[in-house]
Amino acid sequence: MKKETHIHAAERFLNNKKNAVWHDETLWQTRAKRDRQAALIPEWEQLRELASKIKMHTITHLDHYLEQFAAAAEKNGATVHWAKDAAEHNAIVLQILQQHQATQLVKSKSMLTEECHLNPFLIEKGVDVVESDLGERILQLMDIPPSHIVMPAIHIQREAVGKLFEEKLNTEKGNADPTYLTRAMRKSLRQKFLASTVAMTGANFGIAETGDVVVCTNEGNADMGTSIAKVHIVSMGIEKVIPSHDALSVFVRLLARSATGQPSTSYTSHYQKPQKEGELHIILVDNGRSSILADKDHIQTLKCIRCGACMNTCPVYRRSGGYSYSYFIPGPIGINLGMLKAPKNYYTNLSACTLCFSCNSVCPVQVDLGNQIYKWRQGLDSIGKANRTKKVMSDGMRMMFKQSGIYHAALKAAPLINLMPRALIYCKADKWGIGRELPQFAKQSFNSWWKKEVLKK
Amino acid sequence: MDHLAKIGLFIPCYVNAVFPEVGIATYKLLKQLGIDVDYPVDQTCCGQPMANAGFEGKSLPLIHKFNDLFDTYDYVVGPSASCVAFVKENHPHILAAHGQHQCQMSGKIYEVCEFLHDIVKVEKFPGAFPHKVSVHNSCHGVRELHLSSPSELHTPRYSKIKDLLSLKEGVEVFEPQRVDECCGFGGMFAIEEDAVSVQMGKDKLRNHIATGAEYVTGADSSCLMHMQGIARREKLPIQFIHVVEILAAGL
Amino acid sequence: MSNKEEILKNIRLHTQETYEMPLITLDAIHYPDKVEQFIQVSKSVGGNAVVLREGEDLNELIRSLYPDAGKSASNVPGIHAAINPDDVRTSQELNGIDLGIVQGVFGVAENGGVWVVQNVKERSLYFISEYLVILIDKDQIVDNMHEAYKKAAFNDYGFGCFISGPSKTADIEQALVVGAHGPKGLTVILR
Repeated sequence: MKKETHIHAAERFLNNKKNAVWHDETLWQTRAKRDRQAALIPEWEQLRELASKIKMHTITHLDHYLEQFAAAAEKNGATVHWAKDAAEHNAIVLQILQQHQATQLVKSKSMLTEECHLNPFLIEKGVDVVESDLGERILQLMDIPPSHIVMPAIHIQREAVGKLFEEKLNTEKGNADPTYLTRAMRKSLRQKFLASTVAMTGANFGIAETGDVVVCTNEGNADMGTSIAKVHIVSMGIEKVIPSHDALSVFVRLLARSATGQPSTSYTSHYQKPQKEGELHIILVDNGRSSILADKDHIQTLKCIRCGACMNTCPVYRRSGGYSYSYFIPGPIGINLGMLKAPKNYYTNLSACTLCFSCNSVCPVQVDLGNQIYKWRQGLDSIGKANRTKKVMSDGMRMMFKQSGIYHAALKAAPLINLMPRALIYCKADKWGIGRELPQFAKQSFNSWWKKEVLKK
Repeated sequence: MDHLAKIGLFIPCYVNAVFPEVGIATYKLLKQLGIDVDYPVDQTCCGQPMANAGFEGKSLPLIHKFNDLFDTYDYVVGPSASCVAFVKENHPHILAAHGQHQCQMSGKIYEVCEFLHDIVKVEKFPGAFPHKVSVHNSCHGVRELHLSSPSELHTPRYSKIKDLLSLKEGVEVFEPQRVDECCGFGGMFAIEEDAVSVQMGKDKLRNHIATGAEYVTGADSSCLMHMQGIARREKLPIQFIHVVEILAAGL
Repeated sequence: MSNKEEILKNIRLHTQETYEMPLITLDAIHYPDKVEQFIQVSKSVGGNAVVLREGEDLNELIRSLYPDAGKSASNVPGIHAAINPDDVRTSQELNGIDLGIVQGVFGVAENGGVWVVQNVKERSLYFISEYLVILIDKDQIVDNMHEAYKKAAFNDYGFGCFISGPSKTADIEQALVVGAHGPKGLTVILR
């Protein structure tokens, strides 16, 4: 099936004007909160620089740090699993569940399990998968994917949540108050938490020196799950390992401030050992990451700490929504990660960028997101995915600009376009003209002026 | 600066055809400041449109042409932040990627505001411009040429454009909310992603107009052209003017 | 070859240029009054922090902060509570606790976080209680997270958490709701 391009999906998103304005404004407010928090830390830019350097060091010594991490975690009593790809990851999770005869799995938000399509896999095997982050749970009940990596249900309006909960949780008809709805879900999920024997989380960081896994949440759902269930499964991308708590201090200061404009998440939890009479399973997942190490143009994507700041600042993301991108992670980082995953599937996302470079400047680990998008565009022609119109236009421009004679003739002729009938100018082929008037060519170009006014005198 | 320095004027293609007055203002202003300015007439385009669209290779002959034409000048000065940024940031790596010589242009090209501020270090502009203007901090001007401090960074605030405007009598300077958010031009983006592009432009214009300014001014005529197209279509009460036209007003 | 070996081999195969580890020496933020900063940030993150005054009774202070709390739980010496959480058989038994009163290790001025290491039999107490009180010494506040991580240590339970304010969510239209899954309110008492 041919997926809808970003261009068309964005157009559709913008057609719902009220929602589009709300989406843009709300995410801009998150960017503004991030700015205010950053401004309270005089050493902010130094932190970003340090974070970037620590990550570059770690990902270029990844074998060393993974071995150190795994050894430390095992010494702490954890079981470390290694998964080359999504299928292996999912099989390991299922195996652990089966060992414990668990039919229910309470999860906290994890983009990696999303990447591995874990939920549909487990559901097909008869497991009751329960997402416990409020946003994720809403989406799960609606059976739709997240549209933002930190605020997964940002595109859903409260009325829709109210309606959903009426049906699923028997809430009052017409009540769309966020507090009321949150409380209803608290009550519903509390029962799931209490009944669960296995809980799953992602990992924001894995600490090589001490072997602990760090998970940051606001809702406390990761901790609620893992403090009741005795078996804890952690799904962790191999690039999440960092050397030490000293290094962690740099990232923890950047993460929540960048993500949501909070000085910290409510909970920064460190899981070092299994619970008494419990088990801690850490699944280290590669799924293509180790190959990115060889790609010098895109290796920096491995620094990403998934804060979502690049989405909040991206003027295109804010005005097109997460679903306008065909990869499951949207926005600047998602454009790049999609291309790394499968360029032929996700290249149409490359149009969603004006090269404004705001993402580069908000990124807490200084990933060169905009530059990478520029580089991907250069490679499109070689995989046969270049936009034909753009190619023809580029060819035409090269022809015209290479030879000054043609260019000068065109400069002279340009004002004639001003006289063409509107119908001809604003035909469907000219997309400039759909929302804008065409620029008026000057009666006399600078070239002509120069020849007449400066050279002749 | 050394007053014997020779300046080569770089007038980007679309300025040449659509906004010649911006080129004329640049020339007159530099001339008035006693600077030796020349314009190599055979110049065309810096190659940015094709490269940003994904065809760097197609810009290669233009880059060579650019180098040949401006080789003998001490400085190259142009009234378009985005085009200047492209020469400065991208010509070197495109040439390198094609196994070519080192790029001489990168070190000596300046956007005209940058040149007036950093090299000429002008202290006062003649004449007056008694109007309210809203400064358009264009992306490449801000984040590539560093004409002002990007709002994302926690670094000391500055704006070379505002500094320059303060040297012209009568100008009242404003800045929009979301001070350096992109206006949605983005070269071919404007055509390819026209729905988002136009929405961004409308939002940007609303913020500019809310300042109460009569003009939007900036160092990038391309952004101004895009916003002007929308303003004319929507019949919005705002005009557009390049910074250098304000600085040269009355010459 | 095991999965582990294959992944490590692939990493070694693809690693090109390597980068040095930077020195993490930076002049991080310090506050003239750490206690005051801690209190202010605690409030800004939806929590609360109060100083136990000279001669004030801790149990009375807690009661005045949470007068409606029914079932309370604590294993902190000297704290009056209905339940000693070390006596429960399962974590589930703690469901329904109105107020948990626990001992924290130290606080962090820059973000209102309190380092809490598990020191009860079931750590669900920190999360399942409807409201939570954390006790720390008022001279146990560090300026920033760099200092915090130099100080943070685990005990035999192997669980530690920086808790900054109550549980919260903004997943419905970015409207802030305090008390998502965990405590609906949090007070740090500095004594």
